[in-house]
Amino acid sequence: MLTQAEIIEALLAFIALPDATEAEFEAMALKVFAWQFRNNEPYKRFALQRGRTPLTVKRWRDIPAVPITAFKDLTLSCTPPEQASHVFMTSGTTQGVRGRSYHPTLDVWKRSVLLNFRKRFMRGHERIRMGILFPDETALPNSSLAHYLGLARRECGTPNSDVFIGANGLDLDRLLPVLAQAEASGEPYTLLGASYSFVPLMDALAAQGRRFALPTGSLILDTGGFKGQSRELTPDEFYDGLEAAFGVPRASCINMYGMTELSSQLYDDGNAVSHPVKSGPHWIRSRVVDPLTGIDLPEGQRGVIVHHDLAHFNSVSAILTEDAGEIVAGGFKLFGRVDGEASKGCSVAVAEFLAAARG
Amino acid sequence: MIEHAGHLPGLDAQALRWRHASHTAWGESATIALPDLDEAQAKALCETVRNNARARLKRMETARIVDAIDATVARLLDREHPLRRKAEHLLPIVTGYDRETVRLGLTSYLKTFRRPQLLRFLAEDFANPAVLDGFQPTAKGGFLRAQGPELLLHIWAGNVPALSLWSLICGLLVKAGSIGKLASAEPLSAGWFASLIAEIDPEIGQCLAIVWWKGGDEIGEAPFLKAADTVMAYGGNATLTALRAKLPITTRFLPHGHKIGFGLIAREALDSRKSVALARLAAHDVTRYEQQGCYSPQMLFVERGGRVSPAEFARHVAQELAAIAHRHPRRELAAAESSALASWRGTQEMQAMGGAAELLGEPSDPWSVVHVEAPEDLSPTGLNRTLKLVAVESLDEVPALVAPYRSFLQTAGIAASPNRLFQLGERLAEIGVTRIAPLGRMTAPEAGWHHDGRFSLLDLVTMTEIEQSTEAASEGFAPYVD
Repeated sequence: MLTQAEIIEALLAFIALPDATEAEFEAMALKVFAWQFRNNEPYKRFALQRGRTPLTVKRWRDIPAVPITAFKDLTLSCTPPEQASHVFMTSGTTQGVRGRSYHPTLDVWKRSVLLNFRKRFMRGHERIRMGILFPDETALPNSSLAHYLGLARRECGTPNSDVFIGANGLDLDRLLPVLAQAEASGEPYTLLGASYSFVPLMDALAAQGRRFALPTGSLILDTGGFKGQSRELTPDEFYDGLEAAFGVPRASCINMYGMTELSSQLYDDGNAVSHPVKSGPHWIRSRVVDPLTGIDLPEGQRGVIVHHDLAHFNSVSAILTEDAGEIVAGGFKLFGRVDGEASKGCSVAVAEFLAAARG
Repeated sequence: MIEHAGHLPGLDAQALRWRHASHTAWGESATIALPDLDEAQAKALCETVRNNARARLKRMETARIVDAIDATVARLLDREHPLRRKAEHLLPIVTGYDRETVRLGLTSYLKTFRRPQLLRFLAEDFANPAVLDGFQPTAKGGFLRAQGPELLLHIWAGNVPALSLWSLICGLLVKAGSIGKLASAEPLSAGWFASLIAEIDPEIGQCLAIVWWKGGDEIGEAPFLKAADTVMAYGGNATLTALRAKLPITTRFLPHGHKIGFGLIAREALDSRKSVALARLAAHDVTRYEQQGCYSPQMLFVERGGRVSPAEFARHVAQELAAIAHRHPRRELAAAESSALASWRGTQEMQAMGGAAELLGEPSDPWSVVHVEAPEDLSPTGLNRTLKLVAVESLDEVPALVAPYRSFLQTAGIAASPNRLFQLGERLAEIGVTRIAPLGRMTAPEAGWHHDGRFSLLDLVTMTEIEQSTEAASEGFAPYVD
């Protein structure tokens, strides 16, 4: 019987490894599953209903994946939720209910975020100047993205890094001089934020007829898509727009794919072409399944993405997302959300019904 | 073989751009060529239809139009007619519905457009349908004449076979020049109907056109939106909102949004004999068009206190759905549909874990039934043969569970005694239900029904009144005046 301290210790050690083979990942995944099965009562019932227990599950792929909506309906936590030091909530307000992830400690989460952020975004820099287009964690204490960006800035940003979204939204008056100065300095600059935060910025620059040519080595990180918060752009429109507005080549525009319901992030290596391959560190593995049967689909066939994120130890590691994807060599391709589709006929489907209920 | 969609009087088919769309289902494929008009062609077509309607359709007796529709529908009902055979062959491939569903659905639907039904339809909306042909005396004195729009634009959506005929026929009956925009998911029936009626009565055929543009294509749609006097549109609220914003204020807009159907099963319908038959009817309504129709049930409220409990009834429905699946296999689902369904099932599964719900059917079954014992609000399911049954102490609780969703209400299926039918009917009418049908008939509205509670013909016309005093005054100017 592992204690929480022991599972945390085991995970930190696993994360610290340079890499993990399939067998090593499997062993750790089964250990985490056993821990979650024993300590997370709703997940245990879910697993039992699927006929999957630590005794019957021998492969990591058979660990039952919880549909992401479950985070709205159930309290999925191995420790009493009131003991959580942090509760991250989804921004979605479907029926006024937000998905929640409980963290008794952020130690594993932080280790997972930072190691991978350095490896996938920093491109060898110890620190780099950051402009953040997302509110900070004081403004959004339950946002995992605000914490992620805050951590990145503290640990990897130069002291003159700054946040440009405040109570009144995007602070163009502060941001534009900073971009101009960064352009003149010759030092690489980075912009990080929600995908939808970039859209009004690009629009404002276009309206003023302004363009920047940020120095070579500058990077952009966007995440999360548009979520109805801005115009919807196709990937080509978006990354062409970023390249044109900031002079950062598409190959240096990196998309981070993360979720409140995970403790690890997945990245591509730039968006020179649309739908680049995404992958995560060795402590998360992703599958693509038929959403109805949960069966793995072969490479190249489109289905729904399942993540097994061992760092998300206090909750549930195996999550059935609502994102469309395709397994390819080296990772998977992401094609956006698959839900929200209207019916093919004239009956009302869930998405429209909920949209109306929200008003 | 390529099937050309649409009906474009006055345009040279050779000179048009055609957009090809492939459909595959049931192991067969079909390529449909959709007309892609440029601005000049679209404008010319609007002019042609408007002018022809003015010169011809408006001057015809309604009886001639009724005859032409009746003759067209008779051919489409004839299973030996080449067009009917083509419809039975192609519609399953294009819409994905199985052959039997398409065949039975076409027949039962087309039957509602025969001559007697068309006359009933006219009588339903007009106390004296002759107002469509000329001024008629009214009870209060004076005379009344009804005019349909010169140019009526229909914007169709969805894959329910031949649904477009409904509004197309409404337009013809009020002598409107009609242009219909095909739904990409069912781009065939309207064009077939138009071509066939053009064969039977070429003058009528000159007064309607069937076109296509890619949904939301602002350049393609602009000439039509500008030219139409009245626009009847089907679609989700987002689509309809966008469309309304593009129409001139002087254009009449008649939207039909997406709807959700539900059923009420009274305890008196739940004895061991009746309940099995009733479950079969419910399953039929769920299966027909895979719940894609605005009238399709997504939730059934089942009353406790009958011989058969709501939980047992849920099992009966599940059995019937399983049985029907053998005869009528489910349409192959698109990835987004599977995912929506999986997401709904996932949510139900979560509820089931807490013991609050019972989920019947395996994830791989082509149907799912969930049964809950605690009352809950109306909500959509995952569609494609997914049904939720909600047990209630009394059906009197149901109106409150449904009322918040007024704008989405249309059809309620009721299985209850006559007394209770009318009691419940009153309450349901209050909260915005516009059609009450028996189970088994939810997806087959009667001829002349009031779609979304509106007057399908009356809403299209404008009335011209000659006031009584005008007639009296004109007497003063008669040649025979003393």
